[in-house]
Amino acid sequence: MTTQPLLVVENLQTHFPVRRGLLRRVSGSVQAVDGVSFSIAKRRTLGLVGESGCGKTTVGRSILRLVEPTGGDVRFAGASVRGMNARDLRALRRRMQIVFQDPYGSLNPRMTVRGILEEGLVIHRMGDARDRLARMRRALDRTGLTAATLERYPHEFSGGQRQRIAIARALVLEPEFLVLDEPISALDVSIQAQVVNLLVELREELGLTYLFISHDLSVVEYVSDDVAVMYLGRLVERADAAALYRAPLHPYTLALFSAVPTIDPARRRRRIVLTGDVPSPSRPPRGCRFHPRCPLAESVCREVDPPATTLDGHLVHCHVAARELERSAGDVRAAAASIAEAMAAASAKPASDAAAASGTLKA
Amino acid sequence: MPLLEINNLVTAFHTPAGRVPAVDGVSLSIERGKTLGLVGESGCGKSVTAMSILRLVASPGVIESGEILLAREGGSVDLTQLPEPELRKVRGGRIGMIFQEPMTSLNPVFTIGDQIAEAVLLHRAVPRAAARARALEMLKLVRLADPEQRLDEYPHQLSGGMRQRVMIAMALACEPDLVIADEPTTALDVTIQAQILELLSDLRRRLQTSLLLITHDLGVVAETCDEVAVMYAGRIVERAPAAELFANPQHPYTIGLLAARPATGVRHEGPLRTIPGMVPLPQNFPAGCRFHPRCAYARLPHCAGDVPPLRDIRPQHQARCHYAGELGPATGEKGDAAHFPHFSNAGNELRPLFPEGGS
Repeated sequence: MTTQPLLVVENLQTHFPVRRGLLRRVSGSVQAVDGVSFSIAKRRTLGLVGESGCGKTTVGRSILRLVEPTGGDVRFAGASVRGMNARDLRALRRRMQIVFQDPYGSLNPRMTVRGILEEGLVIHRMGDARDRLARMRRALDRTGLTAATLERYPHEFSGGQRQRIAIARALVLEPEFLVLDEPISALDVSIQAQVVNLLVELREELGLTYLFISHDLSVVEYVSDDVAVMYLGRLVERADAAALYRAPLHPYTLALFSAVPTIDPARRRRRIVLTGDVPSPSRPPRGCRFHPRCPLAESVCREVDPPATTLDGHLVHCHVAARELERSAGDVRAAAASIAEAMAAASAKPASDAAAASGTLKA
Repeated sequence: MPLLEINNLVTAFHTPAGRVPAVDGVSLSIERGKTLGLVGESGCGKSVTAMSILRLVASPGVIESGEILLAREGGSVDLTQLPEPELRKVRGGRIGMIFQEPMTSLNPVFTIGDQIAEAVLLHRAVPRAAARARALEMLKLVRLADPEQRLDEYPHQLSGGMRQRVMIAMALACEPDLVIADEPTTALDVTIQAQILELLSDLRRRLQTSLLLITHDLGVVAETCDEVAVMYAGRIVERAPAAELFANPQHPYTIGLLAARPATGVRHEGPLRTIPGMVPLPQNFPAGCRFHPRCAYARLPHCAGDVPPLRDIRPQHQARCHYAGELGPATGEKGDAAHFPHFSNAGNELRPLFPEGGS
């Protein structure tokens, strides 16, 4: 790559203290994000997927320092975000904006849309009143809303329109980079596609760079150039979107993909049902964090944290995948196929410990 | 004879702003041991339909007309006419219910064991110890880890997936003939959703329970249901066996919904096809066909003037559309076939993307 990445996240760590007792002593920490690294080139979109509690939202907020990272660094256009003083940080936040999941909670109900959009412009001292109005009109127009929207309140709009207002609020500052944190999950299915199209259109027109955080795997695949999968505070796999969906290497990624229900029978993957729940991020398992739920876990997985293995830009943290890649002499697809095979075989075991219970039930 | 048959159900809310018909003439039936998926977006009336079955619609909601027939030995009983004490025996007895948010539907101050046992004691004349034994048996049935220990724990000590298992255990504790599950996996992660759906299908098969599954997720329906009913703006707009519906969707709304989701593992060119406009609120449902303002196939003034009947389009397949079965390429100002990615619009020919048959 000749271009400098716009955003570099290096070994990012965000732990939250857990306080207990009368004196509120720190008794432990929730390791929401624990050593995550990635970079995003200008005009590219990185999709960040994972289940609730995996830390994907905290990654987004740590980048903007809406929560303070406890380790590692974030560099935006070459400057270290973690080391910035308040003034530089404010200037930076004009260039990096965020759109939240819930368009009902993220817009102040007491402010008109004008107030909501203008606030950022005033804070960043952008333009005079006339210029600000022109900027607001432009932002609304870009998101498919009319200027008449300005004098109205959030409650007068539907969920999809509110999300457009939230996007306009981000755009009015003319940012270069957007964190999109589950921007469509609160919307109805027929509205989701409208907002996805809008986001893609804006990216092309304005040359924006996105971190697209979502648990919706098919939308992430559609929107992203690269996709990173998180589990329990860590990245487990990262690759070009097409490569990742074609040949997932990490057992968790495989299970995640296979769990998505699909309407097209031809595309239905063999379902791999994981047992158990995601462990608490305050007491993550040692070794590989996925090992207690992994059908392929071996003794090394229980002891040793798997290092990154990278091949043709496809990165994976997994002992089994590393060995398979070695065995297949670097053929990612062959390695992925044999891991998928092993996963399917391991989870096809009869799960009928409940059979006994149901026998007594109807008797 | 079906286990449950709903005929022309109308449930309306009488608000200061006027009458809001959330469910407007819904007819459904569920056979014994089968799963019916009721699909639609927010405000379409799918949850109110479910609540109406058990007469749990909160004031100012009223079941205004229609009948809800539950089969019983030697005939059937109309739940809308059943006296309250009788109805209480049906709730949790012959019909179990699973809600979306297991945290708010479990009582935080009672243990898991007590709550399941309570359900049993309400409907069966058994001693307390037997009810507790039954609770343990149910927790084992839903494959909750460490069931003996969980029996004495409180809801907040469990994860979301575990709570939903407890809800299922409670719903099944009295061996109901029908389970109504309202978005049972929406609050859960996909890997946990897969566990719960597998569990529900497995239990249904083994216990021969019927299931009414209410969801907005077409993928969930495709993988778990025998029959599907699609709701839009208080009415059923399409009804068919699941495989048939997904292979040959007939109503423009269903076609649009299927098209709006990007498929995985496919390279997409250009924008996603969308359904324009937004989901109407019950206080201002459009006249005529309620989907016509968003429909790429609408022909005016016909579609805006006459309410289309739910009619047979193909064997076992009904749709509420004047032009279903002869839709052809979309026309009109709502755009061309570009709104409907389910159909390839290469040339002028509309071709379903999914092959016939669907299995």
